[in-house]
Amino acid sequence: MSATSPLIKQLITALRCLPGVGPKSAQRMAFYLLQRNRGGGRQLAESLQEAIANVGNCKSCRTLTELEVCGICTNPGRDQTQLCIVETPTDINAIEMTGIYRGLYFVLMGHLSPLDGIGPEQIGIPALLQRIKTHPPKEAILATNPTVEGEATAHYLSELLKSHHIQCSRIAHGVPMGGELEYVDSNTLSHALLGRETL
Amino acid sequence: MNKLQAELEPGFILHTRAYRDTSLIVELFTQEYGRVPVVARGARGRKSWQGLLQPFVPVFTSWSGKEELMSLHNIEQNGIPYWLAGRKLLSGFYLNELLMRLLHRFDPHPELFNHYIETLKQLAQPGEEEYVLRLFEKRLLDELGYGLVLQHEALSDIAIEEQFYYRFEPQQGLIKVSNEAHLAPNVFAGKVLLAVAHENLTEAELPATKRLMRLALSELLGDKPLRTRELFAVPISSN
Repeated sequence: MSATSPLIKQLITALRCLPGVGPKSAQRMAFYLLQRNRGGGRQLAESLQEAIANVGNCKSCRTLTELEVCGICTNPGRDQTQLCIVETPTDINAIEMTGIYRGLYFVLMGHLSPLDGIGPEQIGIPALLQRIKTHPPKEAILATNPTVEGEATAHYLSELLKSHHIQCSRIAHGVPMGGELEYVDSNTLSHALLGRETL
Repeated sequence: MNKLQAELEPGFILHTRAYRDTSLIVELFTQEYGRVPVVARGARGRKSWQGLLQPFVPVFTSWSGKEELMSLHNIEQNGIPYWLAGRKLLSGFYLNELLMRLLHRFDPHPELFNHYIETLKQLAQPGEEEYVLRLFEKRLLDELGYGLVLQHEALSDIAIEEQFYYRFEPQQGLIKVSNEAHLAPNVFAGKVLLAVAHENLTEAELPATKRLMRLALSELLGDKPLRTRELFAVPISSN
């Protein structure tokens, strides 16, 4: 079918740039849009074009936004003394969903991974230093992932921030809510035990 | 390459990277097969694998394959993970980077594997890591066949003596120099060289040993620097 139309073929190839989309699903998506939902397709194309053209990085926290400085950074109601450092913009969404954090963010856009050649420069450390010089927070919350690379990143950041006299804390990790100890891997369980709290 | 198959092979994860949407390419360091690359299909969605596909966790691995890249079928924990925190974690990454850079795939080094475990064990304990790292570097060079000849001078059997100084030439060995030349970066005291040879280092010899190991390793590593070394330099880069 796609042999009859170079345009459809082009669309199918373009859709495959999405994660998890193989040739079969790309073909299904293309025909769905063309046969059943042209309006939706047009809207998709327009918002995609607009987003690609306008969305960049926030000057202050590096998250994705079309504004020069994002909504969280400009919100006067946010606590200016707390800075939460995360790996990706989606981590901001996850933390916002909890509703208990009212401070500001900084997005690294990755984590230190020496074996992949990702060092301090690549995760925006110069921008972070700039950020803490202009608006020094009282506390930095290191919310990198609980992977070995995430831990190494948190350690690196804590050394760096402490040398600038900023208090650092690390998010706790342990047993998930609603989980059963029997099914938790021993690695996580030992973290939970080591980080236990006095009641 | 013939079909290879391993069942419950003891090993460690040296490094992982994302592959396709849900899989990982994992570099294993195993006891009997050395460095083995495996693909862990669907690993990023498998909760039971996530805690195990991390460095410094002793694991049993089962995999097979014909091509360069093996398929991981199963992974199980094989003991207590080595808890490396802070600077020790960077030291652990340094070990892994050395192994990734210097070991050939499917080239077994069971002795080195045992020494890697021993090194992790010592890093996980409180105390200075310098001595542990230097010893690992020395044994790594020995195992790879680039062991340093530290007991006699280059191309001769004149013994190294404690009170003299020697210039280290990576391709040749040690050449005796006059005592005035001892400040040069590639000149070492006989005392240090013998201490390294006997694996009997004290605090005083550690800085010179580090210098010696860097010279010897840089020969093998070539122009591409080790990235983990950059991370050790935090206090300098923060100013």
